[in-house]
Amino acid sequence: MSGAGRETVPPAVRVTDLTVAYGDKTVLWDIDLEIPRGAMAAVVGPNGAGKTTLVKSILGLVPPVAGVVRIHGESYRKRRKEVSYVPQRGSVDWDFPASVLDAVKMGSYGDLGWVRRPGKKEHASALAALEKVGMLDLAHRQIGQLSGGQQQRVFLARALMQSASVYLLDEPFQGVDATTERAIVGILKELVAGGKTVVAVHHDLNTVSEYYGRVAIINVGLVASGKVEDVFNSENLVKAYGGRTPFFPGRAASLRAV
Amino acid sequence: MFEFAVSLFSDYTSRTILLGAASLGVVSGVVGSYAVLRKRSLLGDVMSHAALPGIVVAFIIVGAKEQFPIFVGAAVSAILAALVIALVTRSSRIKTDSAMGIALSVFFGLGLVALTWAQRMPDANQAGLDRFLFGQAEALVEKDVLAIAATGLLALLVVAFFWKEFKLFCFDPDFGGTMGFSAKLLDALITAVMVSAIVMGLQTVGVVLMSSMLIAPAVAARQWTQSMASMVFLAAAAATVSAVCGVAASAGFDNVPTGPAVVVCASVLALVSILFSPEGVFTRKLKNARSRREIRMDYVLVSLRDLALEHGDPGYAHSEKLLELGSRRGFDVKRSLRELAASGYVERAGEDNWRLTSKGVSAAEKSRGIPGGERR
Repeated sequence: MSGAGRETVPPAVRVTDLTVAYGDKTVLWDIDLEIPRGAMAAVVGPNGAGKTTLVKSILGLVPPVAGVVRIHGESYRKRRKEVSYVPQRGSVDWDFPASVLDAVKMGSYGDLGWVRRPGKKEHASALAALEKVGMLDLAHRQIGQLSGGQQQRVFLARALMQSASVYLLDEPFQGVDATTERAIVGILKELVAGGKTVVAVHHDLNTVSEYYGRVAIINVGLVASGKVEDVFNSENLVKAYGGRTPFFPGRAASLRAV
Repeated sequence: MFEFAVSLFSDYTSRTILLGAASLGVVSGVVGSYAVLRKRSLLGDVMSHAALPGIVVAFIIVGAKEQFPIFVGAAVSAILAALVIALVTRSSRIKTDSAMGIALSVFFGLGLVALTWAQRMPDANQAGLDRFLFGQAEALVEKDVLAIAATGLLALLVVAFFWKEFKLFCFDPDFGGTMGFSAKLLDALITAVMVSAIVMGLQTVGVVLMSSMLIAPAVAARQWTQSMASMVFLAAAAATVSAVCGVAASAGFDNVPTGPAVVVCASVLALVSILFSPEGVFTRKLKNARSRREIRMDYVLVSLRDLALEHGDPGYAHSEKLLELGSRRGFDVKRSLRELAASGYVERAGEDNWRLTSKGVSAAEKSRGIPGGERR
């Protein structure tokens, strides 16, 4: 690798001067953000703050007006195979005619490249991924018959197939029950313990300090980013959410005291 | 009947028509599956109607009966309509459905105006331009069938080659995009395959009915299966069967035009599938009614058991009135008792009194026992 001789390794994700607009509406404004390797990071912010857009523009799905995204120091295009994506559960039609196993196997398509079909090896690793998320017994179930939590775990298993080192997740806990949420957090923490980087759009401010080590607070612009204990305080949250902070200032104060 | 079938296959002309219609069926079934799965059924409708102005303009320019320029003209104006839709939705506040409606009526209207005008030109009637409206499978000759089969084969090869990519693109295009499968490229490929299917169908079923040839077989197939491969296969089969039936119907009866007959067959298949497939409207109604009845009868069975057990004897008899008092609104106790008695679960014990038979006792043990568990 070209960076081997250097003293500092480039961060897992570096976003510089990122500005994104849909039509005449600015969705992200001049975002600078660094996620170091091995971090478990949350992206929080009110509705319409541009969280999903941030993830999508890191993945090259949304063309930026300005700005640069680097994955491990290089463009997304070059580092594509090192990145894994878990989209919002509601972004697809679950009535599609496919089994759980079919859907999970799609995670191997990137490594296979064009035209080549998944074979025995992919079959085995899809089953392994399903076992990891606790859905092995549902491998042949139709995806249309899954509950919300099961759909989310299918998406996670599909991402695990990608053998990536950076995981980008868009609201992985949306509409899942407490048991599934704990299971997913467990898997994500396991990934981080294995040296992977996890970045997740997160909604529930009450669990941020429990689940994550780092946080980026955004509302079109970047309000703050860094370690949870340094930046996750009521001052920054009020800046991002305005008066409608769904968070008790008392708890935020106690956080600051930690 | 058998003789009729034999004559259909042995006669050169009708065999040619059959082969043409069948190959059109295979391709439109396959391509239509993608249109339906992507929720782009209407796009097929717009593109086939929009082929008309291209056909007429090609005829005006080339003037002769030459097929190839007409196909090119059809393809160009169909693609143009798709581009107009994309442009309108991207650059204005008009939503996709309205944009499709606008594109369809504008292109088809232009086509009809051009058609009326072109028919006044010399040669026009000879070329039979209006056959592109509703199709004229009877006029298919060997050359046409070869063209249809070749285009169809090419389309099928593309689908087979990019099977995995198309599947991923239909289910989750964004996720595919992050892995390097460009959504734009795949969209263009699928649209190209769709356009070639539409162009193939112009002579056989015409611009007006071609869209149902794409949509109806795919919708029919979707009702019966939960796997993409079998859906595509079933759709091809359904479309082929419709094509063959349509051709046979128009050969067997006077004054039955082939194209519309094919489309009617496909629509009947779709309707039957929507109603009677395992998840169909009618089947589901039936299942619901059955399970409601079971719950209603279970309720009486379990109530009777629970009441009887309070007397230490599962066969202890109770009055219908008491059962009705303990029942919830909507449970027709009288009717349930009659039905239970008919199947030997309960028996009458004097005037208006009922007790469980031994069969009833064991059935109550096995039942879900919901009412008993809930009783205060």
